[in-house]
Amino acid sequence: MSSFRVTQNQSHPNKTNTLMLGIIMLLIGILSIQIWLLYSALNNALDENQDLAIAAFIGSLLLFFTGLWLLKYLPDARGRFLKKELSENKYK
Amino acid sequence: MAYEPKEKNPPNWKGDFPIRQDEATHVTRREFAKFLCLLSGGLALGNGYVVLSSFAYPDKELEGEHLVCNTSEVPVGGMTMFAIKGTKEIPYILIHLAEGEWRAFEQKCTHLSCAVVYRDEVKKIECPCHNGWFSADTGEVLQGPPPRALPQLSVVVRNEKVYVTAFKDTIS
Repeated sequence: MSSFRVTQNQSHPNKTNTLMLGIIMLLIGILSIQIWLLYSALNNALDENQDLAIAAFIGSLLLFFTGLWLLKYLPDARGRFLKKELSENKYK
Repeated sequence: MAYEPKEKNPPNWKGDFPIRQDEATHVTRREFAKFLCLLSGGLALGNGYVVLSSFAYPDKELEGEHLVCNTSEVPVGGMTMFAIKGTKEIPYILIHLAEGEWRAFEQKCTHLSCAVVYRDEVKKIECPCHNGWFSADTGEVLQGPPPRALPQLSVVVRNEKVYVTAFKDTIS
């Protein structure tokens, strides 16, 4: 028996790909901003401007949590999903 | 329904990042995304360390006067290098700008810590690594990639001897 998810996957076979690519691109973007923040924080802390280092730390932490939250939307592993479907069908 | 790949001979990069977990011999894209997130956490921690270390270990100001050399050892337009013995040995340069005018700066360029040198022909301090230039008078950046001015020391001349102390900004 086909479920909503199976029909969705069949009608949009590239959806997982697009979602995966989108998440990875967003994570790379987040990492780039964090590298820039770390560089600025280091430079300013050396110049005894600690306020910017604190702001950069808070920003970096928020970006990390955004990245963590994005992981929630990672597409499920196809193999595991298919295996589950097969084991369900075994008894029908 | 069994999974059938569309292509018989997929390119290498598709083989490296398959969607199916059991086809992954190196790393799946899910794992890659998780690794990126882990790296992001590492960078956030690194940023936290910068804050902690700047509050917990602030740079100590130089205490007292330190003898560098005799005035006769450095001619006008000349430069000498010295270091002050202590817990952290920082290299400095002493510049004899004009008659009775002395300047002392840290020798490490604020860009990537290359050794800077005084160029008397242009009356500027040069970092030869990446063409960075500093004012020989104040240590401010004139040109190039350095993001900050060179840290400065105050120079005191007494009895034909040159001493350095912590820099006191006379304007502020």
